[in-house]
Amino acid sequence: MNYSQSKSPFGIILVLALLSGAMALPVQAADSVAIAGRLKLSGEYGLDRQSVEDGPSLSARLMLDGRQAAWQIHTWVEGGWDGTVDEQQQDQTTIKRFDKVYQANTPYLDFKEFYVDQELTGIDCRIGVQRFAWGRLDEYPINDLFNPWDYRQFIVKPMEERKIGVPAVAIGTSRQDWTYQLVWVPWFVPYRLPEPGNRWSMTPTITAGPDSRAMEVQPREPDLPTRTVENSSIGFRIQQLGEIEWAFNLFHGFDPRPVFKTTALTVAESRTGLVIDPGYVPSFQRITAVGLDAATVLGSFSLRTEAAYTINRAFNVRQEFWGYPAVPALGTTSLNSIVIESATLDYGIAADYQPLEDILLTIQAQQTLILDRPDSLFERAIETLLWANLKTDWLNQKIETSLNLAYNPEHGANMTKAGISYVFTDSWKADINALLLHGPPQSIFGRYAMNDQIGLEVIYQW
Amino acid sequence: MNKILVFDFRLLILAMSMATILFASAPAHAMSGRQVYEKVHEVRIKSLNRQTEFAMTLFDKGGGTRSRAAVEYCRKTGPEAYKVLVVFKTPPDLKDVGFLVHARTFTDRDLWAYFPEFKRIRRIPTNSQDDSFFGSDFSYDDFGGPPNLDEYSFTILREEVQDGRPCYVVEVTPKVRRKWNRYVAWVAKDLFIHLKIEYFKDQEPYRAGTFTDVRIVDDIPTPFKMRMENVKTGHKTELTIESLRYHTSFPDELFTQRSLERAGK
Repeated sequence: MNYSQSKSPFGIILVLALLSGAMALPVQAADSVAIAGRLKLSGEYGLDRQSVEDGPSLSARLMLDGRQAAWQIHTWVEGGWDGTVDEQQQDQTTIKRFDKVYQANTPYLDFKEFYVDQELTGIDCRIGVQRFAWGRLDEYPINDLFNPWDYRQFIVKPMEERKIGVPAVAIGTSRQDWTYQLVWVPWFVPYRLPEPGNRWSMTPTITAGPDSRAMEVQPREPDLPTRTVENSSIGFRIQQLGEIEWAFNLFHGFDPRPVFKTTALTVAESRTGLVIDPGYVPSFQRITAVGLDAATVLGSFSLRTEAAYTINRAFNVRQEFWGYPAVPALGTTSLNSIVIESATLDYGIAADYQPLEDILLTIQAQQTLILDRPDSLFERAIETLLWANLKTDWLNQKIETSLNLAYNPEHGANMTKAGISYVFTDSWKADINALLLHGPPQSIFGRYAMNDQIGLEVIYQW
Repeated sequence: MNKILVFDFRLLILAMSMATILFASAPAHAMSGRQVYEKVHEVRIKSLNRQTEFAMTLFDKGGGTRSRAAVEYCRKTGPEAYKVLVVFKTPPDLKDVGFLVHARTFTDRDLWAYFPEFKRIRRIPTNSQDDSFFGSDFSYDDFGGPPNLDEYSFTILREEVQDGRPCYVVEVTPKVRRKWNRYVAWVAKDLFIHLKIEYFKDQEPYRAGTFTDVRIVDDIPTPFKMRMENVKTGHKTELTIESLRYHTSFPDELFTQRSLERAGK
């Protein structure tokens, strides 16, 4: 893909810096070194013939932990062949970068986590590529804002695989029932988006050109915020244990949710046909979020809740207001401004219930209140997401079934995910799953309504 | 008057005969069932400062097996209060999954689980004393008797030799609601630990287990091999202690959520 390639050596410098840190830990003399890994072969069969087909993927995960006294080094690297990458759009690089939105690498190598940790006098200091998990809710945690997501195969991937590790400094300590954590992310890392035309693309796809010539849609890589202290993200979490565990969260930094701004629609001629710049780029918005979360046990139920008030959150207006012409003409067409800003209040509650030893039922309800909502927004003033998951183990945990339902009542959008796994041995496992999505085109699930699919995974772990 | 005397004499003979029969059918024991379990609790309390590495194999009815290995750190924090951190080492999908227990008494405890992939600690309800011991066929009662002795009645049924050791065979019946109606336990007379246990639910056998390879470690008797079967489902668990240290003195910081996230390291 011919996106503007950033020549920043940031990724390489980061890897070298962390490797230097790793070298400082004499692994041969470490108290313990543990290596774990996973191989996964996966593929999907699209049920809708009009949808874009993905090829099979083969990925490997390697996790290495070395410890010596108060020092620890942790690495989680993933790599392999990504079947969702279109050969025509393939990137030339292998290592996933921390400064690009559109990345179509196959084969690829991704540092999900890579950090050095030292605990001295009860203070834990962790430096490197990290993932965080603030808040209590599943799937869409409200206060979990440090890690942007990789939206390639969004919804199919579990949340922990969607999260992109960010270079960060995290300092934590505990005093009796109190735990404190301070996180600083010095450099902005953008979310990763599938290219327009990809099966999981989340933006409008231009299907008609000015004539019948072949079209290549090339989105522009956005200019990232400069790497200054002003543009870093910072957060503080304080938690108290007790009958009710609660935590206060403060975050100031870039919103990990994708929003776009328009540039100009450009249609140009090339040797092979037409090249179209769709005229929008990701827009990165700084927000401040103040949140609370809590958990307790009530009888047989484990209850979890969280809420956050967010200032300056950005939204895109409905796609019919973006200003696209019915048929794009050769040349440049200006588009409308599509970003609006509003404060939001997010809140949600979840309950886990285990009626029998091998059955776990989780139900969750969450809402977003958009406090200054204009009529041009697709989202309503209150957006609700209801979510339920039933997980059951059978035959000595040899078979695991799961049924996951999600419903957005404001737009009648819904998702059904069902899966069955068979555990051959402690290392080998196979999984068949089905995904059904329904709703209006711009809704959270409806935008992927053509992506109903049956998936197969074979996993080997050691 | 004589008639009365004759009647009294007969009554005395009858009473003596009945007493003889009663004594013959219920032999005198050196201890009551309750006292036996007070001793069992003493041993349990003595063992609360420890580090254990154990392996569990779970067998299903069809012969399929799944294995787990874990390390357990335990610290006594009060007369019956303790804190436990359990971290799984294998299988690969459970590596570094951890459980943290803060028990105020043998009946009242909080439990948290940590899943490293999700980086999340989840609070888990533990309102049932019948909770399984980390997904196995064991329950907490199997290791140290019922939690609150006042809520159970104890009857010594007989004395019997089990694995070469003289045992009290004690029937334990709950006055509170449990998953089972009663159990019969073989408690070693010299060590006050379970060597065998049989649970009954609605008068039908429910679970049965044995505790073997008993070793005295730091003056505390400990079975190193334990086997428990769910008679109803045919599911079995074998638990083997691979290493054990008593009289440890782990710092309180080991039993925090931060430590749970770091797999106790």
